[in-house]
Amino acid sequence: MSKKNSEFSVVGKRIPKLDAAQKAMGRAEYIQDIKVPGMLYGRILYSKYASAKIIKIDISKAVALPGVHTVLPGEDVPEKMKMGFYKDNPPIKKDKVCSFRDEVAAVAAINPEIAKKALDLIEIEYEEQIGIFDPEKAMEKDAPLVHEHTKSNVLKLPWNIHYGDVDKGEKESAFVVEDRFTTTGVTHCCMGTSGALALFDATENLTVYTNTQIPSLAQKDFLETLKVLGLKNKRVRVIKPIIGGGFGSKLDTYAYEHVAILLAYKCRKPVKIVFDRVEEFKATSTRQPTVTYIKQGCDKNGKLTFRDIRMVLDNGAYTSWGATTPTVMMMPISSLYRVKNVRYDAKCVYTNNTYSQAMRGYGNPQATFAIESNIDMLAEEAGIDPIEFRRINQNVPNETTPQDFKITTCGLAECINEVEKELKSGTAKEKGVGVGMASLIHVGGGARIYKSDGCGAILKMDDYGKVDIFTGGTDMGQGMDNITAQIVAEELGLSAEDINVVHTDTDICPWDVGAHASRSTFVAGNAALGAAKKVKQKIQEFASKFFDVPAKEIQFKDKLVFVPGDQEKSMPIDKLLRKAHFSQNGTMLMADYFYDPDNESFRKDFKCNLSATYTFGVHGVKVKVDEETGKVEVLDYIAAHDVGQAINPLLLEGQVYGGVLMGLGYALTEEVVQKNGENMNANFRDYKLFTAKDAVNIKAPVFETADEAGPFGAKGIGEPGCVPTAPAVANAVYDAVGVRIKDLPITPEKVLAALKEKNG
Amino acid sequence: MRLPRFEYLEPSDLEGVLNLLATQGDDTKILAGGTDLLVRMKKGLLKPKTLISLKALNELSYINEEDGCIKIGARTPIADIIASDLIQKEAFALFEACEKIGAISIQHYRGTIGGNILQDNRCIHYNQSEFHRSGRQPCHKDGGKICYARDEADRCNSTCQSDGATALMALGASITLAKKGTERVVEIANFYTTDGIMPFAMESSELLTEIVISIQGGKSSYKRLAYRSAIDYPIVCAGVFLSASDTKKDEIEDARIVVGAMGRSPLFLVQESFSLKGKNLNDTEVFKKVADSSMNSASTFAVHNVGSTLEYRCVMVSEMVLQALKGAAQAVVAAKG
Amino acid sequence: MEKIQITLNINDKLCEVMVYHNDTLLEVLRDELDLTGSKESCGEGVCGSCTIHMDGKPVRSCLTLAMEAVGTKIRTVEGLANGDELSDLQQSFIDHGAVQCGFCTSGMLMSADALLKNNPKPDEKTVRKALGGNICRCTGYAKIVEAVAHACNPQDDCPDCKTDSKVRE
Repeated sequence: MSKKNSEFSVVGKRIPKLDAAQKAMGRAEYIQDIKVPGMLYGRILYSKYASAKIIKIDISKAVALPGVHTVLPGEDVPEKMKMGFYKDNPPIKKDKVCSFRDEVAAVAAINPEIAKKALDLIEIEYEEQIGIFDPEKAMEKDAPLVHEHTKSNVLKLPWNIHYGDVDKGEKESAFVVEDRFTTTGVTHCCMGTSGALALFDATENLTVYTNTQIPSLAQKDFLETLKVLGLKNKRVRVIKPIIGGGFGSKLDTYAYEHVAILLAYKCRKPVKIVFDRVEEFKATSTRQPTVTYIKQGCDKNGKLTFRDIRMVLDNGAYTSWGATTPTVMMMPISSLYRVKNVRYDAKCVYTNNTYSQAMRGYGNPQATFAIESNIDMLAEEAGIDPIEFRRINQNVPNETTPQDFKITTCGLAECINEVEKELKSGTAKEKGVGVGMASLIHVGGGARIYKSDGCGAILKMDDYGKVDIFTGGTDMGQGMDNITAQIVAEELGLSAEDINVVHTDTDICPWDVGAHASRSTFVAGNAALGAAKKVKQKIQEFASKFFDVPAKEIQFKDKLVFVPGDQEKSMPIDKLLRKAHFSQNGTMLMADYFYDPDNESFRKDFKCNLSATYTFGVHGVKVKVDEETGKVEVLDYIAAHDVGQAINPLLLEGQVYGGVLMGLGYALTEEVVQKNGENMNANFRDYKLFTAKDAVNIKAPVFETADEAGPFGAKGIGEPGCVPTAPAVANAVYDAVGVRIKDLPITPEKVLAALKEKNG
Repeated sequence: MRLPRFEYLEPSDLEGVLNLLATQGDDTKILAGGTDLLVRMKKGLLKPKTLISLKALNELSYINEEDGCIKIGARTPIADIIASDLIQKEAFALFEACEKIGAISIQHYRGTIGGNILQDNRCIHYNQSEFHRSGRQPCHKDGGKICYARDEADRCNSTCQSDGATALMALGASITLAKKGTERVVEIANFYTTDGIMPFAMESSELLTEIVISIQGGKSSYKRLAYRSAIDYPIVCAGVFLSASDTKKDEIEDARIVVGAMGRSPLFLVQESFSLKGKNLNDTEVFKKVADSSMNSASTFAVHNVGSTLEYRCVMVSEMVLQALKGAAQAVVAAKG
Repeated sequence: MEKIQITLNINDKLCEVMVYHNDTLLEVLRDELDLTGSKESCGEGVCGSCTIHMDGKPVRSCLTLAMEAVGTKIRTVEGLANGDELSDLQQSFIDHGAVQCGFCTSGMLMSADALLKNNPKPDEKTVRKALGGNICRCTGYAKIVEAVAHACNPQDDCPDCKTDSKVRE
């Protein structure tokens, strides 16, 4: 990857998002916009209690309502139908509810109004039970059990590591700092709410239009649903409409998808379920709320000696794939900065809260909040400037971490320098103004959480020099479509507009594990590049005969296939393709490629090289704290990242800006307020997303370390923007007014209370 | 989210509206901008049989200066008030309050000043979806006998979060309520019932037609606290009016302090206001004392029901009052030259 | 209650449509007229995804009754372009990377368009204020703000302004 930015034609260019015009004209089709003939509207009834037995359910009045096609109580759902990582979550509950979000019945009707009315007519008798809402209390011996068949509310998951010798490390430390940090549930708030449309054809093959980040895994889940329904050897086709935001919210399959399938099967009609905003808040998941106990130490020179972390995660009532977030938390815990002795123990605990799941960063923001807040405390204890402290311990290229992560390229040092420059510029310290920083490590080359981390791509070229590429990758607004197009165009000497990226349909597109772990640029990008290289080679072979030169001498640029230095031997690519096609024994140029990165699954001790490369970054922030009101105002923000190579700086900035603002919400304003398991702020008025008026401009310098493994050197950058934001802000607040807020979000009332305590 | 069914009527003039109001009864609601009413209807908080639209009543959209007074038609959009030089000059607190209402494209063009005054009281336990509320006993405001915000409360403790009402009360405004064949003028300070269920002292056959602010030669200021700088309702707010003596230009002649979002109505703090008479306009120490006293007076009315913590909101009363006092005092001093 | 027929002036075309009194304008646009560019994201006037113009002013179509729209001029995102020729604002959104998932985009465009009609060269603060009622979860707003500020006022130092294309008034 020795190519420089200036040598690229398409890669590195600020090419607007391919579907931007469609979207700016209001023509993009989201699940909300899709109608098919005969379509019914499905709606789900939820529990009125956080924990209760269902004594009786009477659906007769709902069934009798004109316009209602079917009513589905829990008892009509096959016993074996269970969702989630633990398969502990039936799509409709029959005997018992364990959270307010629990689905207890569903209807399909000719319009949404009737569907809603039908839900009101379903009569359910509950017997309320005592719920448990605090994960630490839920771990106590006599705590009520969320699921009676388990002996404890603590999930039996093996999330613990110990590398080196932490106790020895502590003994050898000159300075040790320990504390407790908590994070709350925040939620994705995709502007486009969740929804799915299920329909069966005459031979009982299923098509599901759904907002999903995991089309291939969803297909597998839906096939299991069909199997349980007794439909064997049937096909499932998953079609993704344009997705109105993902951020991890679509990384599992959900009750509404399975319920739509069940309703469609029962009525033999297409059934669509689309959430309203209240439902989106109440019946989708949050990031895992956590309680973290952390202890870190360093020697007298500031070198980290050990890191010891114990964590409790609020799993909620059921278990999504999000229960595996501790495996990603292990990454910053074992490998952010150089620290030999590391211990981590995480407990996921059932409560009667809404179940938590994946959200941008996948555990990394929670872990990094504790680590990086605590690093500042340790630096202070050791009497070392926090920037210098980080420099002493910074990760460096070509080093293996205690967890066996093989760090290849690493631009952390450059990022620290850049942030330092920004934070130290400007005028002398004003009252109430302070700066803070925090670093991040994240998977940048996929993450082998599933047994394959692969993505397939099929590429075909037509007679006009245009490319259709069918990729397993998923675009949900982040720009996977552009990345694919730009990589293919670069390789084949075309422009991005020549590339049609099809990523919407499992009938057409190959397998992919999903749009998660910031992996699309790296994995889907490499898949596209692999397919493009294969086609390129075929074209070279064909042109080699034609031009009578060795294949490898043939190059591609500006839609031309040519031999450098020989003006005679040059031809527009479309003409060459036609020559290949319309000749005796003609050929069409097509190729397929399946890319599975060279990363590893966890071994028993969780050591492995989880990702083919790692993304690094440092965020710096300047805040002003109003000491009268406790309000924290963000004045400046810089987010420097080592991205390997920016395939598209325009879209990359969008990922960083959006990630940082999401992180600032996490730091300052956002919180799903649950009162005994019930969401009390299920709307945009009470759930405080930043508005344009509150947002700040962000500087987002990138360092291009050109990673050997990445497509044209690129690493993933989807999630890092929201990883170190909260600790950077917390550190800045401390610098500004001398109070350390250890519980997110850093609200004015917490700051004011802390100031009051400090000032007596 | 669907609206419940109703009949929509669109009278062509004020007389038509008043005629309808006279005959329709309690199941009728007035639709002005709809930014508060329609949201409540979507949540099933009220299900009127009839909506009377003021769409055709351009006669109620004006800002005039008349007989030493500012007269504002009740259907005047918030945007017009923000844009009015007269309001900026003579009723600055109202300008400041209107600027902070919602956001430009939500409230400013559709939302009206009358609608803002009549914005229903809010409570985090009450302003929830129909389904949320269906899972529990109804609260006082929902037709039941329970208060979720304050244990054992025998009445509704919902909070008035109207920016406009707080500012107008500080400005000593009055409002005109018309009904068929007659009208009455009420000081806005007397317009509130202190009943969270029905916060306004008006009959269902009455229509709020006009707001009158007399120009008293003083200056006003409005300050509020919210998490965000757009969309949010205030969690605490304060409006202050101050005027200086003609003879001693640094001496406060008249003062009115109103605290909002802390009770069932904006709270006109009579004692604190009175205590400022004769005090020096530049005396921040006095302002601080008055602000602290305001906090003590206002705190007794508040319950924990509009986000944030109650403790924080109480402390912030003092800060908002202080800021508003300083804002108004500076304006008076500046005007006196 | 029966449906009644009303006539709406939408994007300079008169449309006859049958509505219930309780239909919102958004429901009629999306469900009856297949103008699905306006989106419902919150349904209660907070997020701005359903913003349209009524007599040139941005309003929430989820909190506007279809009945109230009779006799007014409605413009939706579908009516911003002149045929297939995008407006400067739409083009600016595309060029500046202001569109990610796109769900908030139509509402953002309508709020911004109303601003630019009165103030073609707004500063950043004015833009942020005008968009204060439109929520976006993808972009962090920065590129949206830039796209609006530069739509009619291209900047030489902006890498995403196409200053060489037609002069924007």
